Formats: sequence, C-alpha cells, structure tokens
Amino acid sequence: MAEPQAAQTVDAEVPDDEIVVDPTVPYLEVDHLKIGLMREGAELRIVDSATFALQPGASLGIVGESGSGKTMLCRSFTGTLGRYGVDVMGGRLEIAGHDLTHAEEKAWRPIRGRAVGYVPQSSLAGLNPVLTVETQLLEALHLGSRKLTKSDARAEARRLLDMVKIPRADSVLHERSHQLSGGMRQRVMIAAALALSPPLLVLDEPTTALDVTVQYEILVLIRQLREQLGMGLILVSHDLAVVEFLCSRVMTMYAGATVELAASESIRTRPRHPYTNALLHSRLGMAERGKDLVAIPGESPAVGSWPLGCRFWPRCAYAADACKVGDQPETRMVDRHLTACIRAEDVT
Amino acid sequence: MADNLIEVAGLHVNYKTKGDDVLAVRGLDLTVGAGQSTGIVGESGSGKSTVAKAIVGLVAPTQGSIRIDGDLVAGQQATGYVRANRWKVQMIFQDPYGSLDPRQQPLDAVLEAVHQWSRKPKAESRKEALDLLKSVGITERQATSGLRSLSGGQRQRISIARALAPHPQVLVADEPTSSLDQSAQAAILNLLRRIQAERGLSVVFISHDLGLVRYLTETVLVMKDGFVVEEGLTDKVLHQPGHEYTQRLISSALA
Repeated sequence: MAEPQAAQTVDAEVPDDEIVVDPTVPYLEVDHLKIGLMREGAELRIVDSATFALQPGASLGIVGESGSGKTMLCRSFTGTLGRYGVDVMGGRLEIAGHDLTHAEEKAWRPIRGRAVGYVPQSSLAGLNPVLTVETQLLEALHLGSRKLTKSDARAEARRLLDMVKIPRADSVLHERSHQLSGGMRQRVMIAAALALSPPLLVLDEPTTALDVTVQYEILVLIRQLREQLGMGLILVSHDLAVVEFLCSRVMTMYAGATVELAASESIRTRPRHPYTNALLHSRLGMAERGKDLVAIPGESPAVGSWPLGCRFWPRCAYAADACKVGDQPETRMVDRHLTACIRAEDVT
Repeated sequence: MADNLIEVAGLHVNYKTKGDDVLAVRGLDLTVGAGQSTGIVGESGSGKSTVAKAIVGLVAPTQGSIRIDGDLVAGQQATGYVRANRWKVQMIFQDPYGSLDPRQQPLDAVLEAVHQWSRKPKAESRKEALDLLKSVGITERQATSGLRSLSGGQRQRISIARALAPHPQVLVADEPTSSLDQSAQAAILNLLRRIQAERGLSVVFISHDLGLVRYLTETVLVMKDGFVVEEGLTDKVLHQPGHEYTQRLISSALA
C-alpha cells in the first residue's frame, strides 16, 4: 500500500549528476554473467558465462544465432530483464563504475538512457502508433532528470532528428509511425536512444528487416554518429558482415556463452573457435556456384537442453572425447583471441 | 513438355485500394526453361513477390498472360489454373512459422498434399509422405511430433516436402531462407540445389539477397517499382551492372 509514496521518494533520490566516464577503466564489464529464471525449483539458464569488457568509446559486435542469448545479454545492460520474467543469476555486470549485477529498479533509473542508449530488436514496431514522433522524443528526453522547459525540449527533439539526418524534420516531428518508412522509423528510434547523450549505444539487430540500400544508409549513419559523438557501440547481429562494418572487435556467442572474442579482422581471417569458423564458412559469399555450402550439422540446442561439456560439441568437426565431459570450457587466450575451445590451436 | 515451362508475357498486376490503385507489376516478361534457375531480385515494394504469386495463381494478372508448360493459365481466354496444370508449379514461402498450421502434425501437412494430388489409398499416401519428409531430412519421429518443437530450418524442410508432393516441374521460392539463421540457410540451400538436380526442376528464386542469387541462379531479373530495370545472365548482371539501380544494390551489399 505504501507503493506510491515509495515511488516518490525514489524519484527524489535520482541524482542529477552526469554519467562519469573514466578513460582508464572499462566502461562496461560483464564477467561470467548468468541470466535465467527459476522453473520447477531449478535454474533455467538463458545466458551462462558471457564475458567481455568494453573500453570507453570502443565498439563490440555480438554475433550468434537465435537462442544464443545475445538479445537477453543486451537487455541486461538496460535493466529491463524483469519485463521478460528473467533475472541476473550470477556473475558480474558493471556499467560506468556502478555494480549493477543485482541492482534494483531504483539503481537503474539514473543509468537507463543516460549511461546506455538502447535500440531494441524489431524496433521498426517500437514506436507507439498513436503518438507523434515529437511526443515520443520528448518522453525520451524527460527520462533524464535534466530540467528542460517545454520550448527547449522541443528544440532538442528537433536537434535529435537533425542528428540522425532525417529529411523534412519539421513535418516528421508531427507524424506518426505509419507515415514513416522503415529506414525513417529506425532513425527516429536511434534519435530517441541518443536523447540523453549516452556514452554507449546498444543496437540489437538494427537493420534486419530493412532493404539492403536502406541498411547501408543506416550503418553509415551509425558510423558517422560514433565519429561525431565519440560514443561506444555494442551491435548485435546474426550477420558477421554487418558487425565487421562497424565494430573493431567481435564476440561470438553460442548457447548462452561467450565462445570467442577477438579483433574483427582476425575473427574473419583466422577464427580460433570451431563455431565461429563454421559460421564463416557457411556464408553465401564463400560459396562457388555449383558447389555445396558448408552447413553446420544439426540444430542449436534449446535453452534447458544444453549438452554436457562444450555446448557446441555435438555439431563440431573438432570434437574430441575431452570436449564431451564437464562444464562449458573456460575461455583462454590463443593467438590474441579469447576462445572457449580446448582444441583452438587445431582450428583451420 | 513445352520448351519453356514458364512463359510470362506483358504481366501487369494492380492492387485495388481505397485510394489510388497500386501498380505492383508494370510490364514483365519472363521465360524459364526446364531445369533452369532464375532469380528475381529487388527491394520491398519492387513487385517481386507479386510476380511469384501471379505465377502460382495466387493473384490474377490485370494484363498479360502466363503459360505453364504451354497451357494458358492466366490472361485473356485463359482456361485458368485447372487441375491439369496446377500441380506443375509449387511455391515455398518466406516464413515457415506462418506457412504451416501450428495445430497440424507435420506429417499430416504433407499427407494432405500427397492425398490431394495422388488419391492413393491412405497407407500408400502415408508412406509417400514419410518418404518425401525423409528426403528433406525429417525423421518420422519429428514428422509426428508437434510443430512447436521444430526449428525454422526444420519447418522450412517440411514446407519443401509439401511443395514436392505433386511432383511439380517448377518451384517458386520466395525468400526461402530470409527468416532463418545462417547455418540453417546453408543447409536449406544445399537441399534445394540437390532436389533441383535430382528432379530436374526449374526454380524461380525471389530474393533481396544478391549473394543468394549469385550462388543459385543462371539468369536474373532486377525489379524496381514494378518494372524490370535489368535482366540477363546472373554473372554478367552482377559483374557489369548496366542500370544505376543495380549498381546501387551491389554497392550497398556488405561483404
């Protein structure tokens, strides 16, 4: 019953200070993060052992297939896991010097939108169809505790649209999502994510439903915004080519775990995990007409039915007996790649 | 069998809307010979999916004619898609989650199609359906389990088995892998290539993906706003694009 009052107190506690970026330490750090839920008295893990650190202003691409946990991992950076009925169950999550591993909603408020800007998956449907673009940008601006007058906020909304290079911004401000093309909607979503000038932008499959020419324009826009704002970037995609276009480092996820992490160029030329290797070889661009594509045999294991040992072994061309027992292997350094494969040296 | 399994001439398709009519296809000619692979590329709204639907008889042309194996199936004085030729062209859809009935067992989905075309006794139809499913890599256990336990790739295999039930001469595949993961895509494309070779099928691939068209097709049409802006041998069109739009598509593609 004391709920409403408690909420008020929380609002008052939201600090007005800016997010501090310390150039000497990682801006975002994830260490053996576990995300999941309790089902019938047992833990059901969706992410188990995601590990990486992102320096301020740096970029990281996360690749993996459906069910690899990449989207849940991103949601953990915005403190929205609860909305999906899951929670952090272990490991560590730090953003901008705050330990947010088991943070309550109250602790997330000064972080969300301000420390991390987030453009969710299928964001083409992310705009409210009954509200104008301006109303939604104003909402995003008011998430921050900065005091803005109405006219300042409007000017700011207009500035955001210019930033994402929306043509005829003045009229777009008063339009609703159905009047906008897919590319325009994605630009508006990015503008909203930038509203509170976050030092890090997280994009989950930002171009998946877009045409190739529009995809290219959006990727170029993101690249320009990063140069202009010095912003860090985490980009989730199932498409290695998209990730390589924007990110200097790439992390591969498989069945909830980080299996490889290295420089983009090096991932493409000399992957040190059989899964990354298989993904690269199954690309259409690798294929000669008249010859079979290199498919990965079998299917990704569903959440809750990960095999013992390395979770990739049933589909792996390099699987040895030692791969089939124990836990998911710890990551280690091989040729400047972080890899979770015990046979990494043999991958060709 | 006629020389050209598919002959589309002067195809126009308009969609009626409350406001102005949408001119989805504005003049398209296409021939597909036996065993050939043809690609139609373009972006959203180019009209490429409408062409696919017109070929299989899901939309009626506003103008123009469509011949399947010599029979006029659409256009003036057409006999329509009668039973005698409908089986010859089958379609695979983009979304294997939407194109299969979630309440139906995969086996029944294929069995229904087999029965529709062969009118064989039940036991024989069942065996044929299981053989078809086996040929696309679906086991009897998977075929008799619920659809919900199957992945996108497995569902697309079932759609392919169903499309093969009437032993068609032409497959029209509309973005058959765009809703699949990359590793599933490779397996499905390998399967389609194998089926095409084994059965001597002609295939029309509708796709936005130049990589897929480059890998799978011999000839290609590039569509934009309902028009064909360029066509020819795939290698030539993709290496020496003549039209500005084709050039833009190629330069926008990553990797």
